[in-house]
Amino acid sequence: MTRFFLALLFVCAWTSVARADDKEIDYAKILGPGASDALQITSVAMRLTAYSQEGFGYQSKAGPVQGPGSERLTVFEPQLEVRAKQGDRITHRVWIPVDIVTTASANAIDRGATPDVISNASQHNEAGSIDWTMQYKATDTTTLTVRSAAHLEEEFRSWLVGASVSQAFFEQNTVVTLGLQSSLDWFDNFELDGSRNGIKRRSTVTGSLAVSQVLSPTTIVEASYGVTTQAGELGNTWNIVPIAGETVDHEIMPATRLRHSIVARIAQALPWNGVLKGYYRFYADDWSIVGHTFEAQLLQHIGKSLYAGFGWRHHTQTGARFFTTLADPSMTLRTADSDLAPLDSDSFTGRLGIDVPRGREGTLHFDVAYERYVRTNDLSANVFTCSTAILF
Amino acid sequence: MKKLARALFIAVSLTGCVVVPQNRRGRLADPLMTLHDDPLDEYRRQKVYTTREGAAGGDGASAGGGCSCQ
Repeated sequence: MTRFFLALLFVCAWTSVARADDKEIDYAKILGPGASDALQITSVAMRLTAYSQEGFGYQSKAGPVQGPGSERLTVFEPQLEVRAKQGDRITHRVWIPVDIVTTASANAIDRGATPDVISNASQHNEAGSIDWTMQYKATDTTTLTVRSAAHLEEEFRSWLVGASVSQAFFEQNTVVTLGLQSSLDWFDNFELDGSRNGIKRRSTVTGSLAVSQVLSPTTIVEASYGVTTQAGELGNTWNIVPIAGETVDHEIMPATRLRHSIVARIAQALPWNGVLKGYYRFYADDWSIVGHTFEAQLLQHIGKSLYAGFGWRHHTQTGARFFTTLADPSMTLRTADSDLAPLDSDSFTGRLGIDVPRGREGTLHFDVAYERYVRTNDLSANVFTCSTAILF
Repeated sequence: MKKLARALFIAVSLTGCVVVPQNRRGRLADPLMTLHDDPLDEYRRQKVYTTREGAAGGDGASAGGGCSCQ
């Protein structure tokens, strides 16, 4: 594992060095007159992340019958983002995240591989998305944004569209954003023995309202409300539930879910060239889950280019009303998914970043971070990430 | 729900009471002052939480809760 993370770090560092030899792009020379309306790349960023998870959950078959099974999981996740402007009013963002996941999907069932983690499923899975966001600055105070994305996995497809409008008031001290987003998922339905049985579908619609406000020359805050409604198959179809009588069976989820969340954020500049950020989120849904999340982050400039940061996050939630680790056969709804159990979690993050100005060639950014995530119901994860970006 | 709507209305109304002129917003231009993390970092962080906590989603983030993938 250590070698893997060293390699990850090396790849990040290498990408920075490679770009340092390139010359400035002269769009006018390449594209000729009228180039101001042509696409001009304004930034390119790459982030590499590795997750390593350990734990046990009753939804997993990788353990004794009716006992908790392993939730061991490793994810390698590269992301690429390119931003470009087209004239003075339009900006584009193209983002491609890829997930290479071990032991987390139903991919390996039909290959006869040894069942590993969640149900008979999983040995190895690759997933990728392409996400395009276009922003149009209609006036000095009004911005329209449209987004579309497609997600592809071997047994899962997803399509997403969204739009939002932002309006600034009071010399841009206040910004109100209204958004709507919809996604449609369709995926293979699995039987307990791992065989496929048709296709399941799920739709999700999210509406959101956010207000950000400059409170002082050193303080900015934001409050937002979001509501999400989901319909269709809301499980993954391969999770199991221990049933009284020493058997296991499928989980049975409600066909709909309505979720509400309220978020408050604050960023406060500190006199010693640092920044303190706070975050609170309240969540409630009609599955009887209520959650509270608190987060604090301290970031500190060290000299002109370097910065360091430390963050702590605490989350607490009640469980779904139909969560059980041993279901009565008569239960019409049931899940043993450890994500839907009553739980607390803490995560601690340390980060180091550097911005190197390169004159007319823009700025080179590099950062590394480590996060330790611990959940009270027997789950923990280590996350390593590093990023390189060129801001032209 | 009515209380929430009232509180939201008052909060939105109060925001107009503060106007900081642009020439005094230098500290706010510091990249570390952004309320939201860099989107790629935000995605990887949300992925940690949305796939491990049922109380995720409802705010434009992915649904979460139900499987360890996504």
